[in-house]
Amino acid sequence: MNHFDEMTALLYLEQQLDTAHAQEVRGHVATCNDCRNLLRALELEGVWLRQSLEADDESVPAHLVQAPERGGTPWGWLSAFGLGAGGAYTMWSGFVEPWRAQAAQSGFTQGNLLTMLFFSGAFWKGWDAMRSLTEFLALATLGVLVIWLLRRHLRRTTAFAVVMGAMVMALALAPAGQAAEIKHGNPNYTLAAGEVIHTDLIVSADAARIDGDVDGDLITFSRSVTVNGHIKGDVISFSEELHVNGIVDGNVRAFVKEFQLNGTVGRNVMSWVGDMNTDEKSVVNGTMTLGAGDCTLNGKLVGDLLSFSGSLELDGSLGRNVMVRAGHLRVGPKAVVAGEFKAQVRKPADISPDAKLASPPVISIVEHDSDKSYSSPRYYWHQTLLWGASFIFGLVMLLLMPGFFFDAAGACKRTVPAFGFGILFLFALPIVAIIVCFTIVGIGVGITSLMLWAIALYAAQVVVGAWLGDRLLGPSTGVGAALGRMALGLLILRAIGLVPHLGFWINFLVICLGLGAIVLAIYRYMRPNLQAAAVV
Amino acid sequence: MERRKTTGDMSAAELADVLAQVRAGDAEAWGELYGQYAPAIFRFCRRALPTREDAEDATTEIFMKVRQKLGTYDSSRPFTAWLYKVASNHCWDLLRRRRIRQDLETGDLETLPLEHPDPDQLEQLQTEHDSKHVRAGLAKMPDRARMALVLRYYSDMSYDEIADTLGVRRAFVGVLLLRARHQLREILAEGGGGMRTAAAGGKP
Repeated sequence: MNHFDEMTALLYLEQQLDTAHAQEVRGHVATCNDCRNLLRALELEGVWLRQSLEADDESVPAHLVQAPERGGTPWGWLSAFGLGAGGAYTMWSGFVEPWRAQAAQSGFTQGNLLTMLFFSGAFWKGWDAMRSLTEFLALATLGVLVIWLLRRHLRRTTAFAVVMGAMVMALALAPAGQAAEIKHGNPNYTLAAGEVIHTDLIVSADAARIDGDVDGDLITFSRSVTVNGHIKGDVISFSEELHVNGIVDGNVRAFVKEFQLNGTVGRNVMSWVGDMNTDEKSVVNGTMTLGAGDCTLNGKLVGDLLSFSGSLELDGSLGRNVMVRAGHLRVGPKAVVAGEFKAQVRKPADISPDAKLASPPVISIVEHDSDKSYSSPRYYWHQTLLWGASFIFGLVMLLLMPGFFFDAAGACKRTVPAFGFGILFLFALPIVAIIVCFTIVGIGVGITSLMLWAIALYAAQVVVGAWLGDRLLGPSTGVGAALGRMALGLLILRAIGLVPHLGFWINFLVICLGLGAIVLAIYRYMRPNLQAAAVV
Repeated sequence: MERRKTTGDMSAAELADVLAQVRAGDAEAWGELYGQYAPAIFRFCRRALPTREDAEDATTEIFMKVRQKLGTYDSSRPFTAWLYKVASNHCWDLLRRRRIRQDLETGDLETLPLEHPDPDQLEQLQTEHDSKHVRAGLAKMPDRARMALVLRYYSDMSYDEIADTLGVRRAFVGVLLLRARHQLREILAEGGGGMRTAAAGGKP
């Protein structure tokens, strides 16, 4: 027999060779010094490996030595479910449904709850594009579901690449269907009177002045924007100042510090603005939805008004219903309201006797949050329901993603990095997402990131609650026990959160810690892939 | 087959009694079973998984599974064998879920020319590196290779069991183990050892 190879030697030592082959090896070893040495070295290596692996050079964590406690009791489950369901119902009936109803009254009749939640899509391109965004989000959700279903059958990188590729294609296809002219000011940009842009116009400049006409939409990222011409599409503006003196056939969507409307808007106005003024010559033929610091409306509004503002002054013509929530409300002598007038204010409204109101205004005074009575049982019942809602959220999280749930809760142990990442992502991610939103193709990614960020903020309390419960009662070995610990942790966090002043900072720390732990858990899932990629 | 030792001494009859009580929902018996086996399973996980945190989490999750699956345990088989099977499956599944499974490795291995070690250098490597070095080297190894070594040389699993756990052909287990040994030697050698491999065919 010739010298045998290392594979044969190992199989011989491990008694994996058939009898005849083993006999052959045994005979050769008796006469071959080299092979005998190799066999001996491999045998010693096996012994060395066993001894090294068996060596107890690391302590066992104390919590793993303790006997686990019994899981959660049925009454605890039932109570939690009841409170959670009550919390969900309260949130729906107290917040979501009234908000949706108010929005519907103010002209958002095409939307459902989903479209309201994703109003940014409407802000972007109007309700038609909203449908596309909703479809895209549905597609993305379906993609995530497909990844989850295929996770055991495909390499995750493959499935992830396929789905991400499809999403990128979806994003790339959307803007391909519409042409747009992009202008960068140096530093300013002016579209002269008489000039016509036959497509959408996207302007990035220090000061943008539009004296000409635009057949499509006007989208601006500028410090100052003045529109004197005729815009046949929408005006979408992210700027410090926006002055609309001309005619806009479509909608005006504005994220601005100061918005002055002197011209005519063919459809709706939606703006999130510091100061807003409409001139008495201005006309809005659709609805107006405002989130404003100080707002003065002197012009004509044909549709509904929905306004959330610090102070609101109405001295113009309002063709339909008015729904207002404001710190201070003043209705001037020139005001005309043809529909219902409902207002929630912090201070008594100042309504001129000369104002022409079709129906008696319904004004209610709301107390400031800080005026809430800690002695009111309703307040504590409300807090209990909110605790239940967070518990239900944690339950769903645990059942859908048990591995991630425990990873995230466990990551709270790494307090310093968790806080660091938490603070970083708390502030950096929304900034990055908003910047991404400024790019045409990135708005879907940006909005989705913001939504995930918001979900992570809510999940932070659940993660910290689960970790806190584990710290107090010891580690759990069942879903019921884990839920019990999470419920206790959430209860403690909510109780501490009720303490005036201190509660705010505790909640802030909880959010930072929980958010950081979630980031660490996500990183932990990604880390092996990075290593594998490095190897390849 | 010899299995890893547990922390206490529980006879077969006592174990059977405890298992029967656990099946009946006795929390105290479950605590006793957990306390008996959790440290050993943690040590196994500590070797099979790359980090201590992974091992702690996995130990907890394994016992959650054990409690759920205890009804499927065939009492005619050794309990420790079943327990280690659950543990090894969980660890491998965990690694696989994290996409650490290196599918490319299979194809590479079957065509890989194996270089013969110099027996003298191999022995030198063993004298230069203690168990801490070996454990540190294990953490740097590809997961499949690490799992193979741990299953074979720590859990004393048979080739059939290793093949079943890792989802490979039985005939491939030997290759996997040999390759794992080579990788460990290389890692230790790079970390300061003097191990070198001779050219293929240069030594028997």
